[in-house]
Amino acid sequence: MNPEALSALGSLFGDRLRTSLETRICYSFDATAKKFLPDAVVYPINAEEVRQTVLLANRHRFPVVPRGAGSGFSGGSLPVHGGVVLSTERMDRLVSIDTENLYAVVEPGVVTETLKVEARKRGLFYPPDPASLKFSTVGGNIAECAGGMSAVKYGVTRDYVLGLEAVLGTGELLRTGVATAKGVVGYDLTRMLVGSEGTLGIVTRATLRLLPHPQSAVTLLALFPGNRNASDAVNAVVAARVTPSAMEIMDRTAIDCVQDVTPVPLPGGTGSALLLEVDGTTESAAREADRLEEACRAHGALEVRRASDARGRDELWNLRRSISPALRRIAPVKLNEDIVVPRSRLADMFAFLSHLSERKKVRIVNFGHAGDGNIHVNIMISGADADETRRAEEAVEEVFRKTVEMGGTISGEHGVGISKAPFLEMEVGPLGVAVMKRLKECFDPNGILNPGKIFLEETAVRARSSHQGS
Amino acid sequence: MRDADLKALTGLCARCGTCRTVCTLYPERKAEIAVARGKIALIDAAMGGEDGDAEAVQEALADCLLCGRCERACPNQVLVEEIVMKGRADLAEEVGIPAWKRVLFGKVLTSPAATEIARKAAAAGQRLLPGKIPTASGLHYRFPEGLGGKGRTVPKLPAKGFLQSLGEGEAVTGEVMLFVGCVFDHVFPDVGRASYETVKASGKSVAVFRDAACCGLPAMVSGDRRSATSSAEANVRRLRDAEPGAIVFPCGSCLLMFRRNVFSLIPKGAPMHDAAVFVANRAVDYASFMLTSGVLELLPEPPEGERVGEIGYHDPCHLSGTLGKGPEAREVLSRTVGTGFAEMAGADLCCGYGGTFNVRDYPTSARIGMNKVAAAARGGTKVISTACSGCVLQMRDMAARTDPALRVVHIAELVHQALFRK
Repeated sequence: MNPEALSALGSLFGDRLRTSLETRICYSFDATAKKFLPDAVVYPINAEEVRQTVLLANRHRFPVVPRGAGSGFSGGSLPVHGGVVLSTERMDRLVSIDTENLYAVVEPGVVTETLKVEARKRGLFYPPDPASLKFSTVGGNIAECAGGMSAVKYGVTRDYVLGLEAVLGTGELLRTGVATAKGVVGYDLTRMLVGSEGTLGIVTRATLRLLPHPQSAVTLLALFPGNRNASDAVNAVVAARVTPSAMEIMDRTAIDCVQDVTPVPLPGGTGSALLLEVDGTTESAAREADRLEEACRAHGALEVRRASDARGRDELWNLRRSISPALRRIAPVKLNEDIVVPRSRLADMFAFLSHLSERKKVRIVNFGHAGDGNIHVNIMISGADADETRRAEEAVEEVFRKTVEMGGTISGEHGVGISKAPFLEMEVGPLGVAVMKRLKECFDPNGILNPGKIFLEETAVRARSSHQGS
Repeated sequence: MRDADLKALTGLCARCGTCRTVCTLYPERKAEIAVARGKIALIDAAMGGEDGDAEAVQEALADCLLCGRCERACPNQVLVEEIVMKGRADLAEEVGIPAWKRVLFGKVLTSPAATEIARKAAAAGQRLLPGKIPTASGLHYRFPEGLGGKGRTVPKLPAKGFLQSLGEGEAVTGEVMLFVGCVFDHVFPDVGRASYETVKASGKSVAVFRDAACCGLPAMVSGDRRSATSSAEANVRRLRDAEPGAIVFPCGSCLLMFRRNVFSLIPKGAPMHDAAVFVANRAVDYASFMLTSGVLELLPEPPEGERVGEIGYHDPCHLSGTLGKGPEAREVLSRTVGTGFAEMAGADLCCGYGGTFNVRDYPTSARIGMNKVAAAARGGTKVISTACSGCVLQMRDMAARTDPALRVVHIAELVHQALFRK
């Protein structure tokens, strides 16, 4: 970055501009284990500072990469072309919660759990619950359209964003959407921004829909001999017209992985597990839990455990929650994919993954949100064996092809970022990519915002000659 | 930095960000460099040959309270405290002076306004200046010359330390060894005395560990591995030679030193390792000893309806967190003051002391500490009890600054009061 640009940022941010190598290193990573050094880090505290940063970026042509908690799995917040990392962690005010109209107004740096807790205090519910909710930010959740366990009943982040305020790549401050239950005036720019991975605009404020908080919940852990039974049970649950608030599946690979590291007592022959939760009134939750239990037993469950008190539920969640930490213990590198297939094809996908693992001689651990057909496919490798890495990468590509072939999508909730950019066209086709690029052009003509993401080819910031920005 | 052990430890960090949720310092700094994940990335970069500024990395590692909250929350069980301490030690060897000392002597004392503040504080704290503090004591890490910090209240150093107050030949040998630590000997001898007399009430013969080298923790967290190791070795040798049945620690940080940290200074295979294991197996916190010693049975029935819920317990990070000894202290309190004890608001939040951190950045340490005691006071707590010397030092300072009516005591003082009530 040129010294003039840095000095302009210095006058704007004072000591909230950091250029030391030490701070840059701390903003060079996310949860993907990849590393790209930014040239500088800024910590804006309001929308105006974000706007000024983007205006300067247009003048001096440097990339601006927005970053929440840096907890993403697809590289969305990595400064792959350097430039400025714009950290939203100091824009963390929960502006207001409207208890009559049921919405919250927040700044992007608010941690998702903070919003959930504050809503809960008022008897309200902000459902999105990505596994990272304790540290990931609302801004990051919006940029990647984060999902979570409760998506099967409540949907994903997108379903709770009523309106946004965002700084576009031009430096203009756009307000989209509504603060009402509905609104159909013009194009849905709010949805356009959700999941755009910081490539179209930087969210500076969000209006989020809240629900009344459910009264109680019941958790069930059903243990099956194999994936086929578990998948059949999932379909039976759907057929029984019950919508669980969580329906997580762990196949044998995931169960083995946990048993290797932090054993949980399970009946012999357990080859698959379903973790189910229903919420509602105390009566309705109990009634629905009965039906889930029936469905599981009818499809060969070896055992069904059930709890409705906080502690018992927590214990049942243990198996599911132990998977991610255990993964780190079995291999240093994981290629972490989050494909989605139609729910009815779950068992077929599990069978495919099992054969693939044998064929490619790589350990694959599968678990995920069965209710959504969303499987977290974790290919575990040492990272030190070039041949193994190549086989793993081939396996990833095969998984993606099979997913698209089954009518699924290659990413349910992590986003494209850099890790899935090569496969974008495989899913959306050439016209899809072309239209997306036209939209990008319209929001960010100089390619300032988060260059190098989503699209495969070089999307570095344009030189001044090609486009004269503001 | 070239340290294979360090590399194995940092390799487990997945950069997930969980540490951000529990870090005591993060809300103050709101920057990635403050949290474990950032510090580990820095160490990795330094070990990977990144052409960084060793002093700046040292500075970043110094900016940590070592409260261990991140370590306990970490899904991958990354040993953050060990990483930070090892990193500090490696850098101290490369760079020399620990970062906070440089900050104190270099940055603070060169600005005229800061010099004036430091001078005034030094004048107020003159009783603490060298000459008064034994050089073997860890206190020179806690109270360096020219102790700065606007608004700091400095405890008056009493004329006589606890050890000095013991009679000739008193408590020289015994089945139970009491390790009072520097602070409860020199700065708050009343705590040393209360611990001694209540432990003695068990009927067992009690020896007080004398000529104690400092436990070594202040040196260790400052990256001064050599001093820490020599303290640890000297202590371990003398403690083993005394062959006590139990070694009782009124201070949770001293206990942590002998229960855990000592093994990174005296690792498996080192000549003193077996002795260190012997000591670790006998090292016990004050509350746990009280629960098994029979002393609590001697207590009068706790007064009913007196000062109901006014006494709280502050969880020292090292004692309640790392060593998991929170319930024991609460049990002692319930049996000592009955309904006087109630859970206090924010009991498990770090007091912000962090040993040398308090010297390095007093304003931040004080903000964390004042938030802590203010929350407790708002919740109706009038007496904060605890069981760690650093926490007592910090919270007495913070109570004096925010609410002079708020008292901060060691649980031994409450047991003593109940036991010998006139």
